Amino acid sequence: MTRALLLLWFAFHTPTPEAAEHMQAGMAADKQRQFDVAIAEYRKVTELDPAFADGFISLGQAYMEKHDYGSAIAPLKRALEVDPDSTPAHQLLGYALLVQGYAAEAIPHLERAQEKTALGIAQIQAGQLPEAVANLQAALNARPNDPDILYYLGRASGLLSKQSIDTLLGGYPDSPRAHQAMGENYFVLRQMPEAEKEYLDALRLRPDIPEVHLELGEVYAGAFQWPKAEEEFRAQAKLQPGNAEAAYRLGAALLEQGKVHEARMELLRADKLMPDMPETLYSLGKSASLEGDAAAAEKAWTKLLSIEKESSLAAQAHFGLAGLYRKQGKTAAAQHEIREFQRLQGGSAPPPAPGKEESPH
Amino acid sequence: MLNPLLRVVSVMTLVLFGAALAAPVFKVNQPRGLDFTLQNSPTPQKYLIETMPGGVALLDYNNDGLLDIFLVNGGRVTSPMQTPEDFDRHDPKYWNRLFRQNKDGSFTDVTEQAGLANAGDGNYGMGVAVGDYDNDGYPDLYVTSYGKNILYHNNGDGTFTDVTAKAGVAAGGWSVSAGFFDYDNDGKLDLFVTRYMDWDTKHNKDCGGNYHTYCPPEEFPATTNILYHNNGDGTFTDVSQRSGIAAKKGRALGVGFADYDGDGFTDIFVSNDGMQQYLYHNNGNGTFSEVALEAGAALSEDGRRMSGMGVVFQDYDNDGRPDIMVTLLPREIYGVYHNDGGGSFSYRSLETGLGVLSSGSSGWSLGLEDFDNDGWKDLFVAQAHVLDNVESIDPSLHYLDTPLVAMNHNSRFERVDSGVTTPVAARGAAFGDLNNDGWQDVVMTCLGGHPQVLMNDGGKEGSKAHWLVITLRGTRSNRDGYGARVQVNGQTRFATATVGYLSASDKRLHFGLGTAENAKVEVVWPSGIHQTLNDVHADQFLEVREPEKQNR
Repeated sequence: MTRALLLLWFAFHTPTPEAAEHMQAGMAADKQRQFDVAIAEYRKVTELDPAFADGFISLGQAYMEKHDYGSAIAPLKRALEVDPDSTPAHQLLGYALLVQGYAAEAIPHLERAQEKTALGIAQIQAGQLPEAVANLQAALNARPNDPDILYYLGRASGLLSKQSIDTLLGGYPDSPRAHQAMGENYFVLRQMPEAEKEYLDALRLRPDIPEVHLELGEVYAGAFQWPKAEEEFRAQAKLQPGNAEAAYRLGAALLEQGKVHEARMELLRADKLMPDMPETLYSLGKSASLEGDAAAAEKAWTKLLSIEKESSLAAQAHFGLAGLYRKQGKTAAAQHEIREFQRLQGGSAPPPAPGKEESPH
Repeated sequence: MLNPLLRVVSVMTLVLFGAALAAPVFKVNQPRGLDFTLQNSPTPQKYLIETMPGGVALLDYNNDGLLDIFLVNGGRVTSPMQTPEDFDRHDPKYWNRLFRQNKDGSFTDVTEQAGLANAGDGNYGMGVAVGDYDNDGYPDLYVTSYGKNILYHNNGDGTFTDVTAKAGVAAGGWSVSAGFFDYDNDGKLDLFVTRYMDWDTKHNKDCGGNYHTYCPPEEFPATTNILYHNNGDGTFTDVSQRSGIAAKKGRALGVGFADYDGDGFTDIFVSNDGMQQYLYHNNGNGTFSEVALEAGAALSEDGRRMSGMGVVFQDYDNDGRPDIMVTLLPREIYGVYHNDGGGSFSYRSLETGLGVLSSGSSGWSLGLEDFDNDGWKDLFVAQAHVLDNVESIDPSLHYLDTPLVAMNHNSRFERVDSGVTTPVAARGAAFGDLNNDGWQDVVMTCLGGHPQVLMNDGGKEGSKAHWLVITLRGTRSNRDGYGARVQVNGQTRFATATVGYLSASDKRLHFGLGTAENAKVEVVWPSGIHQTLNDVHADQFLEVREPEKQNR
């Protein structure tokens, strides 16, 4: 795109004839990726016609193509002295400065060039996090699923979150939210006793604080302390009767303890609050199957399969259906489901139990 | 409306057995003379074998009516391991040991005089199987190893002879659990040997990054199990290929035997580590078909592969059909495959209450035994993590653990106080009535430690709960009656000594009778003969001899 802009630019700005010859020679060498030759030719252009901004721009660009970003900066700055409105010069200079680590200096040039991705990256480096998130989000809208943009947007958001939490912890270290944030940090670090303590402190200070019961329940669930997990999920569900995740987690904790009927009721509630969530449908089918309600189990798993056809949950639903049909003596249907299950496993071994992926042995 | 008589019985049951639950089930005993340390020899190299031994067998090798104890030892592992591999088994520290029980409950080490010293310098010991393969009335021993396995023939005079070479059952590679059973009902015990993986010390790996842990099984190639057919002349033939057993490779750790589909032929369940489990259906013609996936006994309820360790193949819900229980690692729930009949199983870990009981623990050997004699088989699991440094990786897990003892209340298991307060690195466990008081005891092995002898006196003095212990005496069937289906007052046991992980239990069949003072005993022998004994008095050790022919 930069090259196209430059060509357009040349159409309106003609250098002296001798400079034009060197310009042509430089462009020819550039095309053949003979950057040192191109640089020598462009340098001649700038010497012969110092008022010809395009000569400086081409020189800077040749340096950049040679990955010599430091050398590119001076001619590009010179180009902007000659023509302060040159978009290609702003764009190239912004890139060169950013690559060299001069993020703050790069930002105004990238803003002028409307180069949102590079601008967002520069703003991350300059600590302008809200602006970075906005610009990277705009860039992502233009180029959805670009891995680089996704990465930098995630990073900017994470840093922004951290900045906010740091302010919270620094200014209000004994607040319930600070304890919640600390709990979340410890949870991520898998330091569960510390996470539990922080969450309990948060609840002590503010018993109705949203989400903390849910998060504390996750701590207990991770340590297989199902009765305690149930207690926390139940508290969350009581605080927020409309919270589908709380209902789902409570149902799952009950199911782990073999409290099948109660689990099923809770999972039905979760499904009503947020219909057609695959995880809820899978557990709903499981609880129905455990209660001997084959029709309801079949309905839940079939519904799941209408939503997700290729996921691991879909594989589990096929496996569950195989068990149902086997019990009913429907051998052919059971075998079909097993084949579907195996197909989704890709002919490879079934997945390990959840949480075992990271656990050695 | 509850029948008044039933109500009285229920109250009595509660009084009799509910009270028992308050007290610890076992008393940890240190019997005099049982001087043994399981030498697993952990090294910084984390050779996988170090964390896997060792087995225990409860057998009456001299037929004096008292159970004796055989313990398998590991060996010395050097750091790093030298080649050729030599585990110093000639050093008495690393011997397997046979302890003869004396009348006063103490034990005498008879290893050397019995001819069981020095299990071979190239063999790192693993497990043990017990069976009378030559039907001479004396139990023989088969000891598995990383290296070569050894078959010891019991000479009947207190000594054993290593007959491995003649018998042709040395195997090789890394053998783990093994068991005797009669797959072709010819009256001679055959031998099944599980093998873990294709591994040796030269090709060991270091896993876990900076933590340096034992590697998961997926890091090494799978291998085949071995089936030996008993030729009846003191030799065996490796029929692994011919029978179809070797058609599938696995990473086997445990094995259990029972006729799950009632066709009269003993089937095999093999617990595999980190992959699907195997159920070998006995086709009745000398071949087996692996049917676990279609039978519903291969994976967890969610279709996930499991870290199968030990296995027990017995009926936990008194419906007359053998169910399967498999011990696993944390974040899995010990597997319960309920036998639904018709050759089909359903996963019932959650309904049986094992979700709460087991998801944070690693299980090894296990048994289904009626510890409170109430007529329901209870669960015992020897527990400890695989990794000796697991706490540094995941603080919510623990290397050392106490056993799980869970009472069976109408097919739902509830944890009770085992009486074991000191956590250990448990591995093997075998079950039997050591002091012949009618209450099942346990011997559990511990890495780097002494075996734990857990004595069960019913939790109280003067218990009114009744029991019956049956010794099968096969005539047309194999002499031990392995493979027989024995029903007593609605409870069923499938005769086998093979149990859990690496271990062999008392071959006698123990039944709790609750308040019943008499029993009806029904035996279906491997020969196909049906035998019924009515009005058998409770609280006795009963020998049931197989009729020469079917009574009409």
